[in-house]
Amino acid sequence: MQIQSRFCSHRLAALLISLTFWSGLPGSGHAQEELRIATSYKLMTLDPHYANLNENTSLLSHIYERLVYQDDRLDLKPGLAVSWRAVSDRQWEFKLRENVRFHDGSPLTADDVVYTIERIRDFLKSPSGGFRSYVTGIESVSAPDPLTVVIDTKGNIPNLPLSFSSIFVMNRPAQGFQTTEELNAGRAGHPPVGTGPYTFESWSSGEVLKLARNDDYWGGRPGWPQVTFRVIESPAARVAALSTGEVDLADAIPARDVASLKQRGARIASVGAARINFLQFDVERDRLPGVTDKSGEPIANPFKDALVRRALAMATDRGILVDKILSGYGTAAAQLFPGGLPGTSETLQPEAPKYDEAKALLAKAGFPDGFNLILAGPAGRYPGDGESLQAIAQSWARIGVKAQPAAAPFSVFNTKRAAGDYAVWYGGASGEAVDIILHALLASPDPESGNGALNFGHYRNQAFDAMLARAESIQEGPERNKALAEATEFVMADQPIIPLYHFHHIVGYGPRVASYAMHPRGWTTAMQTLAATE
Amino acid sequence: MPLISVVLGRLSQAFLLLIAMSLIGFIGVHSVGNPVFNVVNIETATPEDIRQATIALGLDQPIWRQYLLFINNVVRGNFGTSYIYHLPAFALVMSKLPATLELACVAMLIAAPVGTGLGLLAGRRSGTIFDRTVLRSSVFALSIPSFWLSMMLILLGAILTGWFPSGGRGTTARFLGQEWSFLTGNGLWHMVLPALALAIPNVALIARLSRSGTIEVENLDFTRFCRAKGLSSRRILLRHTLPNISVPIVTIIGLQFGGMLAFAVVVESIFAWPGVGKLLIDSIQLLDRPVVMATLTFISVAFVALNALVDLFYAVLDPRVRLS
Amino acid sequence: MKPAMKADILKGLKKPPLGPVLTASKILLASYILLAIAAPAIAPQNPYDPLQIYGWEASSPPGTMGGGGFRYLLGTDGLGRDIVSTILYGLRISLMVSVTSAAIAALIGLTAGVSAAYFGKWVDAAIMRLVDLQLSLPTILIALIAIVTLGPGIDRIILALIIAQWATYARIARSVALSETNKSYIDAARLMRLPTARIIFRHLLPNSIAPAVTLIPIEVGHAVALEATLSFLGLGVPIDKPSLGSAVANGFQYLLTGQYWISLFPGLALFGLIASINLVGEDVRRSLDPRNHPA
Repeated sequence: MQIQSRFCSHRLAALLISLTFWSGLPGSGHAQEELRIATSYKLMTLDPHYANLNENTSLLSHIYERLVYQDDRLDLKPGLAVSWRAVSDRQWEFKLRENVRFHDGSPLTADDVVYTIERIRDFLKSPSGGFRSYVTGIESVSAPDPLTVVIDTKGNIPNLPLSFSSIFVMNRPAQGFQTTEELNAGRAGHPPVGTGPYTFESWSSGEVLKLARNDDYWGGRPGWPQVTFRVIESPAARVAALSTGEVDLADAIPARDVASLKQRGARIASVGAARINFLQFDVERDRLPGVTDKSGEPIANPFKDALVRRALAMATDRGILVDKILSGYGTAAAQLFPGGLPGTSETLQPEAPKYDEAKALLAKAGFPDGFNLILAGPAGRYPGDGESLQAIAQSWARIGVKAQPAAAPFSVFNTKRAAGDYAVWYGGASGEAVDIILHALLASPDPESGNGALNFGHYRNQAFDAMLARAESIQEGPERNKALAEATEFVMADQPIIPLYHFHHIVGYGPRVASYAMHPRGWTTAMQTLAATE
Repeated sequence: MPLISVVLGRLSQAFLLLIAMSLIGFIGVHSVGNPVFNVVNIETATPEDIRQATIALGLDQPIWRQYLLFINNVVRGNFGTSYIYHLPAFALVMSKLPATLELACVAMLIAAPVGTGLGLLAGRRSGTIFDRTVLRSSVFALSIPSFWLSMMLILLGAILTGWFPSGGRGTTARFLGQEWSFLTGNGLWHMVLPALALAIPNVALIARLSRSGTIEVENLDFTRFCRAKGLSSRRILLRHTLPNISVPIVTIIGLQFGGMLAFAVVVESIFAWPGVGKLLIDSIQLLDRPVVMATLTFISVAFVALNALVDLFYAVLDPRVRLS
Repeated sequence: MKPAMKADILKGLKKPPLGPVLTASKILLASYILLAIAAPAIAPQNPYDPLQIYGWEASSPPGTMGGGGFRYLLGTDGLGRDIVSTILYGLRISLMVSVTSAAIAALIGLTAGVSAAYFGKWVDAAIMRLVDLQLSLPTILIALIAIVTLGPGIDRIILALIIAQWATYARIARSVALSETNKSYIDAARLMRLPTARIIFRHLLPNSIAPAVTLIPIEVGHAVALEATLSFLGLGVPIDKPSLGSAVANGFQYLLTGQYWISLFPGLALFGLIASINLVGEDVRRSLDPRNHPA
């Protein structure tokens, strides 16, 4: 017997010893100059024109650059273009930066910009769309000299430069166009070549992107010799990677993890996102699925009545959403962008819930006992989405409106919403500027002009449409911003949507990063970091 | 014994299985939702963009035509292109395979010796406190749902003690043209918790199997004879008992290895281990149909092939069994 | 798996009486069932009623005094639901789903298996081909494919579990029924030209039922674990009516931040439930197994 147990314990001891021996320190063996980032953006492609999602553009902005750069106040700053001006109502001229070279050594010329536009407009049949909408208004593009791009537009597009803050410039190959497949093949095909501060080393879709410093970068020597992005989609795993020192920086940190990360010595940066999460009503159809009176009988669409929309807005406790569900890393919303950004109103302020007044309004609208509805939304797409549905249901129950939360995966949610299965739902919208969101979310839907692309509830308000159109005809500046703010105040009085919150982008970083400059568009880049001097 | 007909029967059954599964999976993913909404930025896209994207993915066609097209392509060895990653779907699955394989192998390397050892000892001393403890804990180990076991391992091994990382694959090294975690210390360190999560139920299963085998063999005449001859218990156990119970143990190891491929779905998701199982769950959630189909096909083929191998092995080793 | 091999493995899984552990698990299982039935009466809160939940008390640690006038003994989850109540109501859903699906799966499987044995020929071939097909894949994979195809919802998950489980019963019922059909009393019944239905329902089913019925408790345990796993993967029950599995899943994201109670307690309840069902189930099977009662 003794012999046997010794045999057993030998094995066990050997196992334990070997485990200890193999362990090593987490993160050991990394070059000290390498920046390691854990990101939620999964980088689906190396083609910068494949899909206009932060998922791709955030990481690709290391390799490629845009003509125009949006700073952290969302103001336009020179990027690859040093200046731009409207020559006439239908013509724009961009002057390119001198002495910019692509990673393959070729110089940046106006022809490359022409190629970029042609590639998006004429060549790509990407399932993305997204980018195409930026160039549909372009009649023709030409390059009178190597550093000048002239763009003729089909109509008056005062904010054309804004479109170019989203389009990455590629260089024209010897012939034809580069295909998405060639770019995705990486080193085996045509590795992506841009003008950006970092050059492409290798990638594995949905897993890793490795970059190296571009020593010839026009904006000066970038801060890190090597940058490695690890795609970690699980928030918990990102937090863990940061707290064990496996990575130097992690983005999209869940608000609830901030406190424990700080305790473990990580530092946190955050900024209110230039975006809005809201509740949207179907105000068009006469009967809505799931909307019934208390006895379960279908009723006429109550959301056509602004009083009902107003009552539900007053009965929504944004405090719980922001303080509890987002742990303080969110701003209660009363309009489309966080206050202070260009085009926002100063008078619109989020209100505390007023249940009694809300109940009175509901009674005035003919629903003293309230009604039943199904509150739909995506789960796991936006910070706090699924939880918000349930918290809002709790709030609304206090004025007699019985909401049954129905959360579904994002694509399922969208399929059902597009099929008309929902009456009221949770949504999100973002854009380069507030007028783009106003346009998409609240303008009367019109497939011809593309207005109201996100106005899935078919809200129509002609007075607002006119105010928005007038504001948009004004050139960038305080005048335009004031007109946009007034249009917002006017339309929000009608409560076409219930703005809920602007969540905060949260980034955590370790000792090797001295500071991190947040951007409201939610990008995660090495350029935003400042290396700690050791 | 006409082996050919057995093999043919097996093959036709596997083929039927694949057809049935592909049909159900195909329609299933189709009925859930439109993957276009995961490819297009819904916040900026126009209805025209969405229409274009639907056409580009071939989703505007009737479902039966999509299915025939899919089958037609699969016959030529092409599972289509991932909607999300724009890469060949089968190549994507293959690129995630090393992670799953190494995890399953390490888990089995833990489970097989520990389970056999515990079972031998328990069987040798059947009825003792040690035996009863092994038996009871095996019931509990087999009762724990693998996701809960994984979470408890994270709680104990990562959060409370900080000994192990709670997820991810760690540093990898290149070998045979693939990235492997088991070649680096950091990678192995990351592997401990997920491998334990896969191994623990198998330790229990193997221990119970080898325990009962041991009891049986220990009561046989030849063991008594050996003992009468004065051979040491250790020698009897290792030289005579172990070989005698090895057939069912190897069998269960083979079967459970296939099972691990399936349970990797859960464990890999929780530990953010970028293997085939996590790919399956991710693609189901993103409605990336080509990848879902490629992954399901791969897992089923692997599972069926493994089962067939195990049966064959069993038939060769055990003359009592006839393939029928 | 070949029968001989299966027999080896089953033998391996057979075990001696567990004495006090078995008694304890019987008591535990009985109290689980009582708690599930009595949940609405004894739970301090109805976690499905938004009016009883206070969002401001979300993520309270165990022992916090709540605004509802009672103490949150095990704390609250991320939405302010009392964990004790969530466990009690979740238990109801978990048990309801698993018992319903196991019972229906047994009924379907038994009928299919006995019919296959009695009719033979193409009926047998068709049914058994389907059974073999299903059993050649892991149950979790079958359930996963089924739930993806069917979509979310409690009724769908029951259906998915039935689909995943019926084949096991069918195979056992068929093998037992097959040995019964060869016995002389069935031949006698046939010779007496008794109606087919009468032979099946009066003679074949009752004699084939016992071995399959003994499977039910164990399969209920499997069903609980399967449902929990699917819900954990986000493919199961709706978010506002959590089962034990989805309650654990809800808490997973809070686990890393140290709010352990949200998933730990529902998880312990789940573990206890499955363990007690398995222990009692093994015992039921052993005591009903004719091989253990030599005549």
